[in-house]
Amino acid sequence: MKPTIIQCQNLSHCYSGKNALNKINFEVVAGEPIGLVGPNGAGKTTLLSILCGFLRPTSGAVTLFGHKPGASVLSGKIAALPQDAKLDPTFNIGEQLKFYARLQGLTRKQASIETIRVLEAVALKKSLYEKPDTLSHGMAKRVAIAQALIGKPQLILLDEPTAGLDPVNTRNIRSIIAELSPETTFIISSHDLTELGRLCQQILLLENGIMNTMQLNVSEKNSPTRFLTLQMEPCSATDVIKKINQLDGIVKLTNPQKNEFIVEYSPEIESKMDIKIINCINENNWQYRQFSQGKSLEEKLFFENQNPE
Amino acid sequence: MTPGFFNHLMLICQFEIKRLFSTRKGLLYLITFAIVWYFILIYPIRFASDFLSQRQNTSHGMSFFEFIGFDSLLNWEIPEFSVYWHFSLVIFPMLSIMSCSDQTCSDRERGTLRFLTLRVSRDSLFFGRFAGMMVIHTLLIFTTLFTTLAFAIYREANLVPAAFNSAMAIIVNLILVLLPFTAMMAALSATVKSPRQATVWAILIWSFLAGIISLLSSYLPALDSLIILIPGYQMSELSQLAEWQTLQLAHIPILQTIVLLVIGRWIMLRQSL
Repeated sequence: MKPTIIQCQNLSHCYSGKNALNKINFEVVAGEPIGLVGPNGAGKTTLLSILCGFLRPTSGAVTLFGHKPGASVLSGKIAALPQDAKLDPTFNIGEQLKFYARLQGLTRKQASIETIRVLEAVALKKSLYEKPDTLSHGMAKRVAIAQALIGKPQLILLDEPTAGLDPVNTRNIRSIIAELSPETTFIISSHDLTELGRLCQQILLLENGIMNTMQLNVSEKNSPTRFLTLQMEPCSATDVIKKINQLDGIVKLTNPQKNEFIVEYSPEIESKMDIKIINCINENNWQYRQFSQGKSLEEKLFFENQNPE
Repeated sequence: MTPGFFNHLMLICQFEIKRLFSTRKGLLYLITFAIVWYFILIYPIRFASDFLSQRQNTSHGMSFFEFIGFDSLLNWEIPEFSVYWHFSLVIFPMLSIMSCSDQTCSDRERGTLRFLTLRVSRDSLFFGRFAGMMVIHTLLIFTTLFTTLAFAIYREANLVPAAFNSAMAIIVNLILVLLPFTAMMAALSATVKSPRQATVWAILIWSFLAGIISLLSSYLPALDSLIILIPGYQMSELSQLAEWQTLQLAHIPILQTIVLLVIGRWIMLRQSL
């Protein structure tokens, strides 16, 4: 059985009387990356700050690897990409990363090697001797990710890791996360749900300071109905809804956004609904852009019970 | 293996020394310090020591210093150290207030402390930075004292044994004098948002707190004892003492340092980063 690495019990945090976190309870076991999502002001950064030991919770208990956040025994075990944190502008990047590595217990030589390794991982080896204030926003973000990769942390907390990164570096960060998982457990706070959908099997949803946990790809397998998401090239939504609704086994067809349709069907009546729909598209000479199993993560998390017919 | 508290303390302390000697800001501070001390050495220390050494053995000279309230200058065996002692009692605390004002505040506002506290405890960070500043002060005291010693020996070579004794007394005492100032700046830096705010608060505490305590103690005499907690409270008495007699007041800065470090640590542990 995989060990529990984070335990939160009745965790609350208030800012000037306003609840940012409201008695949340959850446990995280070591393994695949976990997404942390929620609207702006939901308390994601507050939760990550408490886990990192930057903030003291107003009430409740939290432990990481059985210790309180900020305990010195956690040094080197936990790494993080804090939001908006910057390196010291008076030292060059290499000096600071070496210093961090030394604080994690590496020797002088190991620290130098590790600094080059992590900068190579984020494609910034050339910036070894540069000062932090000469870097662009995206480069500074990559350096901050590099510091989180120093040593072999067992848990890495990433707050908006790909916000502000170009597509090539976003893919690079995704590869790093995929490569280090599941030996290293990642908790990724992000608004990029496509990104999280690709990386994570479990999602922690924070809304109004309350936490819900969702296992991806599990709920649909056990459900009596299944979902398909269809993105069409510009077309008449009325025609698409009319024709697809005529297929046997369709339970519900919704059109949440322009040219996007969510099909709910009964697999007992029609197990190969995807092929039926493709045939329907073909017969009507429509063009589709994307066709996928299940609902999009955005639909699952935020619009499950709100879609208009 | 994760380094322990003292290893972290050493590493942070070393990094602070590196900040002084290898960064542009640190080097600028060193150059300014060197220029200030060059002028202090060349003018007040040299002239005053020449004057003192000429007048020390005459009753006319003695009565002149007593008249202007600087008779304590004559208590030191070596006149250069006498002048050095009086200057350093004013200049080093002022430098300490300015140079130690940014122990944690800029790093906290910038978010750099988040990177650090993921790797070290807040205690290691707080005490490591404090220790680093004290090592820097000690290096500066050694350097200035060495140049003053060179002046004294250049004037009279047979002063070496006496000079060594006086120099040791000055080093120990100046370190003790600077301890509470550095601790006060560590506590203020853990509280405020910028080094400028820390400096302003230090000046306010230094200048007005004594007056406020005196005023309050006229209503509640028990409060008068609080004055002992103000860094530098003992300095007027200290300037009247010479050589190892100065250690008579050592308990005051040590007590102040302990209290200020306890307060600073308490703030540091509770501060949001």
